Amino acid sequence: MDIIQQIINGLSIGSVYALIAVGYSLVYSVLLFSNFAHGGFLVIGGYICYFALRSGGMNIWVASFAALIGAGVSAVLVERFAYRPIRERTPVTLYMLIASMGMSIVIENIFVVTIGGRFRALPPVIPMEPVNVFGLATTSAFDLLSLATAVVFLIGLQLFLVKTKWGLAIRAASYNLKTAGLMGVNVNRLIAIVFFVAGLLAAVGGIFLSARYTLYPQLGSMITTKAFVAAVLGGLGSLPGAVIGSLILGLAEMLTAGFISSQFRDLVVFGILIITLIMRPTGLFGKSVGEKV
Amino acid sequence: MEERNPILSIKNLVVNYGAIQALKGASLDVYPGEIVAVIGANGAGKSTMMNAIMGVVKRACGEVFLDGEPLAEKSYQVVKAGVSLAPEGRNVFAPLTVMENLQMGAFPLSNRKVIATELEKVFTLFPRLKERTSQYAGTLSGGEQQMLAIGRAMMAKPRVLLLDEPSLGLAPIIINEIFAELTEINQLFGIAMLVVEQNARKALMLSNRAYVLQTGNIILEGKSSELLHNPEIEAAYLCGKKK
Repeated sequence: MDIIQQIINGLSIGSVYALIAVGYSLVYSVLLFSNFAHGGFLVIGGYICYFALRSGGMNIWVASFAALIGAGVSAVLVERFAYRPIRERTPVTLYMLIASMGMSIVIENIFVVTIGGRFRALPPVIPMEPVNVFGLATTSAFDLLSLATAVVFLIGLQLFLVKTKWGLAIRAASYNLKTAGLMGVNVNRLIAIVFFVAGLLAAVGGIFLSARYTLYPQLGSMITTKAFVAAVLGGLGSLPGAVIGSLILGLAEMLTAGFISSQFRDLVVFGILIITLIMRPTGLFGKSVGEKV
Repeated sequence: MEERNPILSIKNLVVNYGAIQALKGASLDVYPGEIVAVIGANGAGKSTMMNAIMGVVKRACGEVFLDGEPLAEKSYQVVKAGVSLAPEGRNVFAPLTVMENLQMGAFPLSNRKVIATELEKVFTLFPRLKERTSQYAGTLSGGEQQMLAIGRAMMAKPRVLLLDEPSLGLAPIIINEIFAELTEINQLFGIAMLVVEQNARKALMLSNRAYVLQTGNIILEGKSSELLHNPEIEAAYLCGKKK
């Protein structure tokens, strides 16, 4: 059953995109700008994991932990030094969008300059052997593992947002940041938390992507584009939308690669973006305008 | 006997929006337990004054004191110090439930018992909110949203409650209800209030004292009962609405 295998592959890659798209969407929902440096966080996570494994000789758990924390902290620093000075001066979010494009180039080139632009493969620390799924299809342990990990982290995010005080504050801020500030929320701390979470989730995605494909400085901008498409498809700023959009994207990619040709993959991705923008610009779960009080 | 110190005191407050001066050195005092109204036309600087107290807009000049101490400049510190605002247009968190909105109001508090007590107070004042705890705030009627905005501001256990246009966009019968509840909050809990209103008659009937704000300046102050019968005020703000 080839199709079931492709569907599992699609869900697996889609769930990794979801980790990235959700963080991207979270930032968008609170600050209302498209953070194009988001992919940079996953590259930072990927490289930390790579060097922790290669040079540090750490096991995958320690290396991943370091990658998650490192990427989270980098995201907080990017916000602190590149975006905060702008948002404290002007309410126009376009300037942050431009700054994020700049930061994306900065992060990319820091890696090119310091460690070079060559493609690197993560050591084979994540099991890849084939697994038989209920006798229906054969897939790799890697696919199932990345799917399971993504689900665990997405559930973790959901629990954080629903069960904790800061999670509630983030949901309130994604509706109205200014009013959240009037409730006694330290807005700068809230935004730092949002960026930490976004960076951390991106690093999880980054580790799986660099194990599936290879790691190189420009990986970030390619994946940012996909996360952007997934987020627009699901509805910008909506977290369930980002997850569903990512799964659709992953499925579309894998089914295209499996049954048509892998060269058509990106064509399909951007085709989906264009069709979404024409047919339903607010996306599947987009906020409809009209809630204005 | 009249030597009490104000709980909230604004001195020569100036706020600029670019080249435009929205507040040109306004001063006012709110004494413990009283309701003070600021009336004025659209664009007089009423909301600006609220936002400047709350730290939402920058104070270019002048000072704000809470109980004699300079009030912090960042919003979250202002709320923590004991001043909270029910903002203009209510601004409830539409996609959150009524309960979650109230929990957001209690954000600066960490003691669960205190939060539970405050919640009980709000529910006593607004039983309608208690019936709707799991309903999304966006689905409430305008009046209920205003009750939620007031309840939410009370959850922070403020010493001074600021209300920005509590009557905005509401039907007269609902306005009466809301204003009756404000009087109740003031009498039951002794919370001092500063209310800015376009609906001058209602605001003067609610408050003990009032200030008249005109294009960024306080031009008049006095007892509300006296201002209500001041011919100038009647002509400018209460015209023709006499009952």
